[in-house]
Amino acid sequence: MISKTFLKETKELFREGRVRIAFLIVLLLLGVAVWISVEQYQNTNEQYAAAKNAEREVWNNQGEKNPHSAAHYGTYAFKPKYPLSLVDQGVDKYTGTSIFLEAHKRNEAQFSAAADQTGLARFGDLTPDFILLFIIPLLIILLGYNSFTKEREMGTLTLLKSQGISSFKWLMGKWSALFLPIFTITAVVFLLAGVLLTNLKDFGVFKWNSLLVMFLVYVAYYIIFINMVLLVSSLVKKSGISLVVSLSIWILACLAVPKAASNIAESKHPYPTRQEFAANVLEDKKKGVDGHNPWSKEAKMLEEQVLKEYGVDSLHQLPFNFSAYRMQKGEEHEAEVYFKHYNYLKEQYVNQSRVYRGLAAISPYLPTRFLSMAIASTDYDTHWDFADAAETYRIATQKFLNDNTAQNTKYGERGYKASADFWKKLPAFKYDPPELTSIIDRNSSNIGILGVWLLASFTVLFFTSKIV
Amino acid sequence: MITTTNLTKKYGEHTALNQLNLKVNEGEIYCLLGANGAGKTTTINLLLGFVSPTSGSAHISQLNVHENTKATKKFLAYIPENLMLYPTLTAVENLDYFSGIAGKKLSTALLKDFLEEAGLQSEAFDKRISTFSKGMRQKVGIAIAMAKEAKVLLLDEPTSGLDPKASNEFGMLLRKLRNKGVATLMATHDLFRAKEVGTRVGIMKDGQLKQEFNVENISLNELELFYLDTMNLKEASL
Repeated sequence: MISKTFLKETKELFREGRVRIAFLIVLLLLGVAVWISVEQYQNTNEQYAAAKNAEREVWNNQGEKNPHSAAHYGTYAFKPKYPLSLVDQGVDKYTGTSIFLEAHKRNEAQFSAAADQTGLARFGDLTPDFILLFIIPLLIILLGYNSFTKEREMGTLTLLKSQGISSFKWLMGKWSALFLPIFTITAVVFLLAGVLLTNLKDFGVFKWNSLLVMFLVYVAYYIIFINMVLLVSSLVKKSGISLVVSLSIWILACLAVPKAASNIAESKHPYPTRQEFAANVLEDKKKGVDGHNPWSKEAKMLEEQVLKEYGVDSLHQLPFNFSAYRMQKGEEHEAEVYFKHYNYLKEQYVNQSRVYRGLAAISPYLPTRFLSMAIASTDYDTHWDFADAAETYRIATQKFLNDNTAQNTKYGERGYKASADFWKKLPAFKYDPPELTSIIDRNSSNIGILGVWLLASFTVLFFTSKIV
Repeated sequence: MITTTNLTKKYGEHTALNQLNLKVNEGEIYCLLGANGAGKTTTINLLLGFVSPTSGSAHISQLNVHENTKATKKFLAYIPENLMLYPTLTAVENLDYFSGIAGKKLSTALLKDFLEEAGLQSEAFDKRISTFSKGMRQKVGIAIAMAKEAKVLLLDEPTSGLDPKASNEFGMLLRKLRNKGVATLMATHDLFRAKEVGTRVGIMKDGQLKQEFNVENISLNELELFYLDTMNLKEASL
């Protein structure tokens, strides 16, 4: 009975013009979105490779130069574009692509794609994740809203009941007829993305298992929508009402709740303004050693402490250049200050994420969105990881430079220049996004919420739908 | 095959069916006559298990309908006044689906045989139901009953709205099924068709079976007079 109903429903679906047109539109949109993303991905990666190489060339070829001058001259940490961003671009557009690494200061990522666009960017981009997250659930509604109501309206329900139809098998037949086309579209898109990624030059850290997990996340998301749409269709009497209720659920889950979540999270756990943040950092910086100020109270205390530690009376008697040592201590203090303040931002981010997870109970969109971005390495967690890695690299770079001055000069000596081949000894910045297992581990609560949605929607569908 | 014992259905204060005692045997076509609201459709709905009786019982093949609703459906076929099928599917596809629901796995050739036996022209087998007339849809309904090998056929005003030719063809099909031993209960307004195809006729009014006749023992005129008399319409007609 399941296969008969499945075949019957499939024939009915594809013999209807509206369904064929809807399918065609969705496939066309997906094709265009994937093509645009591939182009963007290739362009960005080419720019990334060119910028990274050019910047390293500049660093390596500084010639003879004072290391602290080089520290102020700075360098860049470039954020790579990850292969699965082809499917979900996440927050990449807003987070910036590179971080300027310099002495004394932790900078934020800059040159975001959004900043380069005009006000028209507010209309949003046609990306695969937009189609996967918003349009395919709409397609599910279009295909399924009248699954059961049409039987009542056409009058076929009476005949079916007289034939002794099994409610469960009938439901399963209808469910599979709705699931299979959606599954097929999704599978084709992911397969296409996988094939494109493996055939792209420098496709980076693309792994099929990540793509598979992302695919499964979307399949789960669609199953939840299929269950909800069928449940509504089985409970209401008219197709019009079923359509309105299903669309209301879509608006609530995909549009209203995410936006409300953003507002609630921001009002409950606000980030400090840029001015507040800078002022707080400056205030804390003043409480410690400033590498450029030998006359401050903190610098004098450091001086006394070092002299005592080495058992000498004068800074000239130290086996290293105390000015460079102080510079390094200043860097370490500043790094601690930045760590403290960025950690506060992270805490706020974690608190905001908690609000999102709480609201995921009324919207399967939220856990799906977070999982999708996390697997694509385009979420805020990955961005934080990248920013932290860049900061670690910045601190190591400053130490590398300060140590060179400290070891090669004496206190009071001026005009030191490191040799031209010294710069090449600094290891290049390299950042690898988290592995899939760590992403899954980090997102276990989102997986759990999606699982609960899946289970609950099946349970409610099977136990409360009064079909026959 | 069909037995009702003091079958009663009340909707609040209104008694739709009152103490109905009825028996339809194998190879019999029992026609229930009566005005709208007489209780004919309620009787059929009770036999289908669509509604539960307030009191009394209904049996199909000795199984209590309301205790074994699912099991009794195996023996039943039902054709309502307006048989609705899937408009985008062909006659063969509709028959395949509805017989599949009843647990029958039939080849396309066999499905076509049933449609042919039900009097549908072969050109129509692979046409979509949306192009069918009501008479053609009723023939598919009969084919569904045949494919199911139903022992009991419940018909609710099946000839209403059919032209005389289609109505006559439908009557012939019912006789064909009667000869195969199918017990048929047909609710109808059509006295002529009841006399033509029925073996027994019952006249209902206000949820009660008022009179019952063996068709062989009564002429069409007498049947009409009895009917009008039962409905208190005799004087009006004169």
